[in-house]
Amino acid sequence: MLCGWAAAVALAAMVLVTVADVLLRACCNRPIRGTFELVELLLACTFFLALPAAFLRDEHIVVDLIDGAAPRWVPVLKRLSLAIAVALLAAMAWQGWIAASDAVAFHDVTSDLAMPRLWYWIPVLAGMIGACLAAAAMLLGAKGAK
Amino acid sequence: MSVAVIGALGVLGLLLLIFARVPIAVSLAVSGLCGYAALDGWTHALRMLGTVPFNLASAYSLSVIPLFILMGAVASRANMARELFDASNAVFSGVRGALASATIGACAAFGSICGSSIATAATFSKVSIPEMQRYGYDAGFAAGSVASAGTLGILIPPSVMLAVYSIVAEQSLPKLFAASMVPGIVLAVLYVITVSVTARLRPGLMPKAPSLPLAVRVRALAKMWKLALLFFLAVVGIYLGWFSPTEAAGVSAFAAILIAFATRAMGWRGLVEAMLESVYATAMIFFIVVGAFIFARFVVLTQVPNLLAQYVQGAGLAPGWILFAVTMLYFLLGTFLDEVSTILVTVPVTLPLIAGIGYDGIWFGIFVTVMCTIGLISPPTGMTVFVIQAQHPEIPVAKIYLGTLPYLVADFVLVLLLIAVPGLVSWLPALLGI
Repeated sequence: MLCGWAAAVALAAMVLVTVADVLLRACCNRPIRGTFELVELLLACTFFLALPAAFLRDEHIVVDLIDGAAPRWVPVLKRLSLAIAVALLAAMAWQGWIAASDAVAFHDVTSDLAMPRLWYWIPVLAGMIGACLAAAAMLLGAKGAK
Repeated sequence: MSVAVIGALGVLGLLLLIFARVPIAVSLAVSGLCGYAALDGWTHALRMLGTVPFNLASAYSLSVIPLFILMGAVASRANMARELFDASNAVFSGVRGALASATIGACAAFGSICGSSIATAATFSKVSIPEMQRYGYDAGFAAGSVASAGTLGILIPPSVMLAVYSIVAEQSLPKLFAASMVPGIVLAVLYVITVSVTARLRPGLMPKAPSLPLAVRVRALAKMWKLALLFFLAVVGIYLGWFSPTEAAGVSAFAAILIAFATRAMGWRGLVEAMLESVYATAMIFFIVVGAFIFARFVVLTQVPNLLAQYVQGAGLAPGWILFAVTMLYFLLGTFLDEVSTILVTVPVTLPLIAGIGYDGIWFGIFVTVMCTIGLISPPTGMTVFVIQAQHPEIPVAKIYLGTLPYLVADFVLVLLLIAVPGLVSWLPALLGI
């Protein structure tokens, strides 16, 4: 659950950056430069780094009306949906990689802090690859039991 | 294949995947991707798949979601629920059904610092249900009361639901928060009326609990200061022009943590738990948002929303029928879909339709939220009912649904009120001048 912890740290940092910005603005009239961009970066970290954990914990919202009607199908359907998720996440990571390479090639930077756009892509790609691996691990290990 | 046929197949594919137990987020993304590819080729579809998650993940306005979830997670660990219940009971104590009314009052108050109905119901099922059972309340009615009162969490600001709606419908979040205040209070009052009517009709469901002495009542009410402070930071601060919604969410989450530590109600362990719970919940919601945006790209490409709006206007249907159809759509979706998915999938189509008959996006946001509170307690998949059942396995689900029935009537009364008196929604934003 290391990825969950990393995401929690990003969330804590988001809280602290926001509070510090508000306080400095109120007391010293000196807001932190680029809070907006920092919060965006931390948000990307919070969401994407927690995504693999969400797969490992099997927490995604599903409609399980079929469980009562055809319980024997449930293990098969669980594996099928994990296989679909693996394929989708792999495609997302692959396409994300291509888009990120473009961002590198164009040397995109943010307007306030001049952070390379690549920094935003790192948590996004890490999260998608991690989630893909997590879903694959569930597919191989789950055996329909969980 | 014509565009309309591809559109219909896309929706059909989506429903098929959802009912085949594929996670809703994945169902949305896959059917959206395939539909987009069928209309515009795989090159464009795949490029869209790569960029949508990135654009969403760094969208500043979405940052209110994890922060408000965090404040709720901290508040539910910091013993505030118990104190709110006691304070609310201090108000109602002495009348029949006081504990049920107290639950409603406490959930409404908790809703003003917590943006999630699931979290509100989960928190109060630990506090209220044992108390009601101790005084001999019917178990189904007790659980049904908590399940219904919990839904107030998404209507009373701050609300994670309205934050999601504000993004998909491109509406101002401060305006939505202000607009939801009056309907939220009205619904709480309607619920309390429901309790007293039920008490008249079926007094056996809720034996009278002894009245509390005045000193106890005053002491319980004094403990409300924490809630008042957090609500002030999280909501009032936005209207005083102190904070943007994201800043308000960040500051109030921080204040909730400070209060919890200062009153020794939560330690480091609790904080870590609350943080982890918040990031997991955020990941789940965001993944659905990503899937829904991919699906929405496909829907926009099919032009179904425009065609539908044109068709309906051309057919000259009376506004009443359109409203009725939309209400029924949400009622139906609410029976099996969770509220975030419902909003994300439908709003791009239904909003133009409703705008065509003269309601604005703010009104519709509140209307949809109220419909979602109905979905949260309606069978077969009422999410707040499930949350309570998970904590009280001894109460059968069917009994809980039976317990929510009286409150469902109150919900529909509010829907009718919203339609008849749109001023309920627009009054407060107009007063605040936003």
